Amino acid sequence: MKRILVIDDAATVRLYHREILEQAGFAVTEAINGLEALEKLETEGHFDLYLVDINMPKLDGYGFLKALREKNMPQAPAIMISTESSPRDREGALIAGANLYMIKPIRPEQLLPQVRGLLGEGDSS
Amino acid sequence: MALKKGQPTPACHSPGERQEPRNLETLLQTLLDEDPMKRRWAARDLAEHPAAAVALVTQLQHETDTTVLQVIVTSLGCMANDVAVRGLIDCLYSEHALRRNAAIEVLKELPEPVAPHMGQLLHDPDPDVRIFAVNVLESLRHPNVEEWLIEVILKDDQVNVCATALDLLGEVGSLRAREALQTLKQRFPQEPYIRFAADLALKRIGVG
Repeated sequence: MKRILVIDDAATVRLYHREILEQAGFAVTEAINGLEALEKLETEGHFDLYLVDINMPKLDGYGFLKALREKNMPQAPAIMISTESSPRDREGALIAGANLYMIKPIRPEQLLPQVRGLLGEGDSS
Repeated sequence: MALKKGQPTPACHSPGERQEPRNLETLLQTLLDEDPMKRRWAARDLAEHPAAAVALVTQLQHETDTTVLQVIVTSLGCMANDVAVRGLIDCLYSEHALRRNAAIEVLKELPEPVAPHMGQLLHDPDPDVRIFAVNVLESLRHPNVEEWLIEVILKDDQVNVCATALDLLGEVGSLRAREALQTLKQRFPQEPYIRFAADLALKRIGVG
């Protein structure tokens, strides 16, 4: 079973994404910010995909992704999510190393094809 | 963590880090120094000089060093005068995420100075600015927070703005929010997240 780390400081958002992903057959672990996500990497090893919010306290999505890439995990797919629609945020996410940028709230029919595509389980179109 | 208003500048610097006099004029000059460490100390010491608010706000708009930027917003938060608060609020319009987020964290600690601006921010034409205003409400200890959030989910036409307010209302909402939460579900019937989060909030306040 593919493992996905959901990183978001909003508990409701984490729960929402967990339900969508678990119902689709993925194993989900949660982290409340980038710092806790890095701790999960230390204790639980690498994940198959990262769903990362941008704006979080302590360590934001950009900081987490930078650390992730520096941990010799350049290939680990990451989807960055945010409520902001600014083109600069989208650009910043991609520069930081995200494979994809999505605007919250995300519908299951938008999220799952992208997740499967990045995991090599189907098209991401 | 933001320094509290009125808190004296900590004297924990090591000798040699600050060799310049700490009067206003010298500090303002040092704030423009090429050395980020000198700028950082100047920004920190200027927290004691309310007259330096304009200079700090100006430097905030151009500062490229992240540690100096962080100290500037903290010093403006310590001042919390009108110029300082307006300068921090202007950061909500910045495309620079670090500047914006640093300002949001400080504004959260300033309920009384921020409150008069909140109505305008929550009606800003830019939906991203409205989202950042809701972010400020996250830990703003002000009696109007729930009322502001209710107004957002009742009136804002952008689903991502409403979703951000809904996340927070799910944590701080009371029975007063019940009708607004039910109305929100009707306003965005095609959005699964809105339904999910509103139901969760209603359940938490005991009416779901």
